[in-house]
Amino acid sequence: MSFKDYDKKTFIADSARDFAARRISKREFLKKIGMAGVGLSAFNVALLGNTRRDRGFTLGSDAMAQDAEVNKWLKDVSTPFKGTKIRYTSEATPPTVVLDKLKGEFTEATGIEVEIEIVPLEQVLAKATQDVQGQLGSYDIYYLDQSWVATFSQDTIDPIAYYKDKPDLAMPGMDWDDFSKPLVEGLAMYDGHWVGIPFDIPIMTTMYRKDILEKHKIAPPNTPEEFLAAVRMITEAEKANGMFGTGLQAKSGHYSLECDWTQVVWNEGGSIFGPDKKFKGNDEAAVRGLQYYQELLKNAPPESTNSTWDGQWQMGASGQVALINSWDEFFPGWDAADSKVKGLWEAKRPIRGKVYRTPAEAGFGEIPNAGHQGGSILGLSKYSKNLDAAWIFMQWACSKDIMTRCTLGGGFAPMRLSSFSDPRVKAKEVVGPGTTRHLPVVKEIIDNDMASEPDMPLWAGFSNNEIPVNLGKLLTGQDFGGDAKKCMDTIAAAIDAAVADAGL
Amino acid sequence: MSGEAVSNNARQQWLPSWLSSEHPFPWLFPASALMIVFGVYPLVYAIWLSLERKHPVTRKLTFAPTYNWGKLLGDERVWNALANTFIYTGIALVLQLVLGMLIALLLDSDRKGYGLLRAMMTLPLVIPPSVTAMMFLLMLNGSFGVLTRGIIALGLLPPGYSVLGQSSTAMAGVLLAEVWQWTPFMVLIMLAGLRSLPKEPFEAAAIDGATAIQAFLKLTLPMMSKVIAIAVLIRGIDLFRAFDYVKVMTDSGPGTATETLTSYAGRIYFGNADFPYASTIALLTLIVVIVVSSLFMKIFKVKL
Repeated sequence: MSFKDYDKKTFIADSARDFAARRISKREFLKKIGMAGVGLSAFNVALLGNTRRDRGFTLGSDAMAQDAEVNKWLKDVSTPFKGTKIRYTSEATPPTVVLDKLKGEFTEATGIEVEIEIVPLEQVLAKATQDVQGQLGSYDIYYLDQSWVATFSQDTIDPIAYYKDKPDLAMPGMDWDDFSKPLVEGLAMYDGHWVGIPFDIPIMTTMYRKDILEKHKIAPPNTPEEFLAAVRMITEAEKANGMFGTGLQAKSGHYSLECDWTQVVWNEGGSIFGPDKKFKGNDEAAVRGLQYYQELLKNAPPESTNSTWDGQWQMGASGQVALINSWDEFFPGWDAADSKVKGLWEAKRPIRGKVYRTPAEAGFGEIPNAGHQGGSILGLSKYSKNLDAAWIFMQWACSKDIMTRCTLGGGFAPMRLSSFSDPRVKAKEVVGPGTTRHLPVVKEIIDNDMASEPDMPLWAGFSNNEIPVNLGKLLTGQDFGGDAKKCMDTIAAAIDAAVADAGL
Repeated sequence: MSGEAVSNNARQQWLPSWLSSEHPFPWLFPASALMIVFGVYPLVYAIWLSLERKHPVTRKLTFAPTYNWGKLLGDERVWNALANTFIYTGIALVLQLVLGMLIALLLDSDRKGYGLLRAMMTLPLVIPPSVTAMMFLLMLNGSFGVLTRGIIALGLLPPGYSVLGQSSTAMAGVLLAEVWQWTPFMVLIMLAGLRSLPKEPFEAAAIDGATAIQAFLKLTLPMMSKVIAIAVLIRGIDLFRAFDYVKVMTDSGPGTATETLTSYAGRIYFGNADFPYASTIALLTLIVVIVVSSLFMKIFKVKL
């Protein structure tokens, strides 16, 4: 199979997965596979069922109207770029989905077309990797997950420097200080400069079914021990009703499993790397963390080992689980109009371990803490052929107005401090579609508990391959005979060798 | 001499002889050019890449002809993927062949309605493999999958069991989708072979009192051997490049339980961005396919 063929096949596969996960509509699915040269008969189309609604996204209210001043600036600055088309590829994160819907306003004001290819995370990485390797400039903007920021730091333009260097294109009122400082430091910066602009901040939050915990007289857990005890109790009491204590995103070989693992390691006082740049995932604390995760898995739906964040969200939405320590972005979907669990989930600060290593005790800029951030940034490609048009779009997409409206549209955590206190956002702190009632907690987590994975050029590979594949072998019984230490020793050997080989 | 003849002579003198219509070159050029651009060039490029070493940080390529091949020989996952590829190909091929032949024998009739049944066999083939994989992914879901629930109801699996989430059963789950979709292909090939067999030997065998099983073993199978060999060869090569079902249903997991050579190459290429090593794995796949299919063709005397 050629790699072009690979790309086509994964595109079709990803589109099918997106459709099944309700990320795209039937119409979009048919359009995508049509683009891939696949035809479907009426019979096949009928099998696809009816279009489902998005997860609680609400657009179109008066509060969502485009800001007049922004509109004027866009019109003035974009005259030379009319007719330009800019492209970027992104995962179907809530802000991207909302931005995709708002981008028409940008095009209307500027005449600049924006194409956002929405594909699963691993495909975003693949496409960005191909683009930078060949310095192709196929994409003008890169959507970069926090774990890839170091890898792509050499391929993007520092937005702060560009803002100063191009005053004629600088958006008035950009207010860089409005970006949450922990987010900028933990997410957007590498080696002392901005790699891109913070765009998305899913962060690990403890979420629980209030009704189930009350039924069993369990207090919302504050520590990993309390969490495990509650999970065990609920599984024992509710398993016959098809409910488990918790659900995991433990799909073998997927980044989601690596995220889960990182959090349990930190909660047990461990870290991924040490200050000597050696892998520490096999030390006593880290192995304890993995053993804790093995215990959680015993109390989770068996499908957890084949689930990523989508599957974990589904477990919460279908009433299969009562407690989840995972991404806050799940929350608005559970409050959607057609949700079976509307108003039943609550969010709180994440469970905290007894002690966390300091960044100085870890390596490669890792920040161990209770709230694993899984954020992303938008980076301006050095190789873009439409640099200035892309820069105008990036500023617009990350402006106060648009970021706040993205939050209003999807209910997810904003990057900007002003969005958290925006009256429109505050007004939606009620049960319902696009709820923001979890955001006060998320703000506290960002300010106090935010944790970050290591910033190193090899991390994209480790976190998508070596670590989750071997964890998958352990958790599904393919290898290591259930021995967490043996599994981590294998990973340590591979990672230490690769780090030494790269001369880091 | 007419004006037209003069003009033709002048053109022939002006054109080199290898560009004249009598020479094979102009006729072979379009197909050859396509083959070079889409077949030879990518292959040469992959070979060149396999001789390079990519620095993981600077991304610079340096000439290191033995590096990737040496790494490949020492990479446990390559051998695991190779074994998985053979297992996947072998099991799928046997199941598709046996089921294909059985169904073809059942459908080899001129009675009313059989034509429609034969036409219906093409339906699974028109569904894109990724969509089929998605269907089976949902049907095998441990929580709500209809197939899993059926198997659980029969008492063959414990409640909530995730077929694709456990390393011991994931391969079987993926094979289920593969066999469901591609058995009809075997049926169609076998049917074409069966319907072209001469009737006389079967009539003679019936007069001699041969049973249906004897007729099948002594007549049908030997006469179908070439058709079967071709079908096995075509499907075998296709199965060896297994990717769609693995990617969608398990993404090579759990662990490496369903990792095939192509899915491993994909992960190295797109996950680790190690293009030279991924190309080396892809070349290994090509070498294995060429060796195995050549052996097969020699043993079974298949001529294409």
